[in-house]
Amino acid sequence: MRAIVGQHGSSVMASVVLLALVVFGAVSIDGFWSLINLRSSLVFASFLGVATVGQTLCALIGGLDLSIPFVVGAANVGLVKLLNDGLPSPVGIVVVFVLGALIGAFNGVLSHRLRGQSLVVTLGVGNAVLGLIQILVSSGGNSGISGGTIQGAVPQWLQSFATANHTIGIAPAVILWAALAALNIVLLRRTWLGRSLYALGGNRVAADRVLISGPWTWTLVFAASGVTAAMTGVLLLGYTGSGYAGVGDPYLFTTIAAVLIGGTSLVGGRGGYGLTVLGVLILTVLQTILSGYSLSSSAQEAILGLLIIPAVALYARSPHPRMQI
Amino acid sequence: MVADAKWSAGRLISRQRSLRTPVILLVILLVIAAFHGPHLFTSDGLAGGLVGAAPLMLATLAMTPIAIAGPAGVDLSIGPAMTLINIAIVMGLPEIGLSSPLAVFACAIGLGVLLQVVMGTLIAVLRVSTVVVTLAVYLVLDGMNSVILPQSGGTAPDWLASWGSASTIFSLVLYVPLAAFVLWALVSRTTFFRNIRLMGANDRTAFVSGIPLIPTRIGAHVVAGVFVGIASVMYTGLIGSADPTAGTPYTLSAVTALIIGGASLGGGHAKGLGSVLGAIDIWLISYVLSTFNFGLDASYWVQFTTGAVLVASLIAGGLLTGSSRPRLARWRKRRGGQAEPGVS
Repeated sequence: MRAIVGQHGSSVMASVVLLALVVFGAVSIDGFWSLINLRSSLVFASFLGVATVGQTLCALIGGLDLSIPFVVGAANVGLVKLLNDGLPSPVGIVVVFVLGALIGAFNGVLSHRLRGQSLVVTLGVGNAVLGLIQILVSSGGNSGISGGTIQGAVPQWLQSFATANHTIGIAPAVILWAALAALNIVLLRRTWLGRSLYALGGNRVAADRVLISGPWTWTLVFAASGVTAAMTGVLLLGYTGSGYAGVGDPYLFTTIAAVLIGGTSLVGGRGGYGLTVLGVLILTVLQTILSGYSLSSSAQEAILGLLIIPAVALYARSPHPRMQI
Repeated sequence: MVADAKWSAGRLISRQRSLRTPVILLVILLVIAAFHGPHLFTSDGLAGGLVGAAPLMLATLAMTPIAIAGPAGVDLSIGPAMTLINIAIVMGLPEIGLSSPLAVFACAIGLGVLLQVVMGTLIAVLRVSTVVVTLAVYLVLDGMNSVILPQSGGTAPDWLASWGSASTIFSLVLYVPLAAFVLWALVSRTTFFRNIRLMGANDRTAFVSGIPLIPTRIGAHVVAGVFVGIASVMYTGLIGSADPTAGTPYTLSAVTALIIGGASLGGGHAKGLGSVLGAIDIWLISYVLSTFNFGLDASYWVQFTTGAVLVASLIAGGLLTGSSRPRLARWRKRRGGQAEPGVS
């Protein structure tokens, strides 16, 4: 088994699972191959895909970013507020991205200092950020937030960004995701910065000895995660047309699930964004199939949970202590 | 209860650095509460506080042995697990005609231990990280809860439902958590528990010292399971019915309480007393905030303050212990070198 799995095992395995799911869906569900279904599935995949860019990078250096759902929600609500205050939409989006990067950078600095605690650091920062944004937004009088939702004039171009039946044949959000994915894969494989992520995730001390700056890389990676989370929030705003602070909630665990099912290890040093793309597609196809069998979203969540342990048990088991002495 | 914890903390604080943050926070919160919400210090208020805080105290206590067993020992599944047991107590047990305290506690603790043993076995035998296994179980249980019970409903057995409206502190509401603390105090003084600590601090050392790693790790989860069960009973007493989602946020609150209480996710370091204090802090934060007139914004303030306090306590903890030590040593060396040039 181990010989087959080998070095490229996780990508082979994930591809096989994806292929099997697609064949199964095509055979057993009417309209699975219809253009409408494929296009709208891809839009959903692109939201999750953009959000998991950051989670994958964090996992590669041995961290975990739980602030993603909170930043998604904060960007979503915050952008509406900025637009309501009369800011032009491109400026508003840039502001949101910069804030996302700053939040991420703070996560990175702190997570690197308190080693092994990125899970709780990002959890705390995320809660503080989303709470603060809601407090700030709600003090804006009648244009403010109520029950977590906020109404506002979302520009037309942003709305059409995430529509499946766009005039160019595919949602621009999907193209954005594809471009991000390509950029990421090249960055991770071909650049010094990309390789240094693997080095840091593999062995922190060794990476330090070859002059890879731990604090700088951690800051950069978590800042990137903040930006992609903010990007997801902006895309979701275009999709739904109104701000909602809880819009990111599903991304708390599905981003981690996509990373794990693709075959990137949370321990760090092994995996890549190409694998996560497979993981995202597996999750999306699975969701389509389960919805086709009219299973509720709760039942889908349970089945997703059942998938994680076997996936991880195949690739990401830690060695026995006797092998570490 | 609060006074009781403070008393023992006062004795310990001079020796226990990790307890500093939760105790300082507790004092600050109690002072604010004394001025802004003195209702807390009436018999009514204390009983209400105890009922409100007890599920979180026990849930945090349940996460403690897993945090000690480390590394990165966070049990994310605890919220949905408490919800599942809550549903079992309220909807399941009456079906087979059981509602006595004995049956409820046996069912709750049994289910809690069963869930934890399954997770502990997966973690110890498959050697998959704790976060991954408990995340998977979180998803499975959270999904399952909503499938089993689509909407909240049912009523807890009478003896249990009356806890939520307790107006005096001297009742089961006090005795059950006290019994749980005594149980913790006993368990945490055993050799078995010391083995868990050693395993969490350094599993290689534990292995070469002849500690059986797999049974020890599963044992840590068994201890956790007992407290998950008791926490679920207290939680059922608090809400008085069955609810498919209301228990889920306990995961995040309990992780926060655990960290404020001074636990280190590196493994080996976590204290029951710290966890209980952390949980009291979390409950007091929402109590104190509720005494201000934030109106509809109240939940945002709770979310913001909890997150900010978690980050602040992480920073404080990191500065007081661990990561600042090398710098301190370097500083002392430099100072020493300057002050005593003639020593060498």
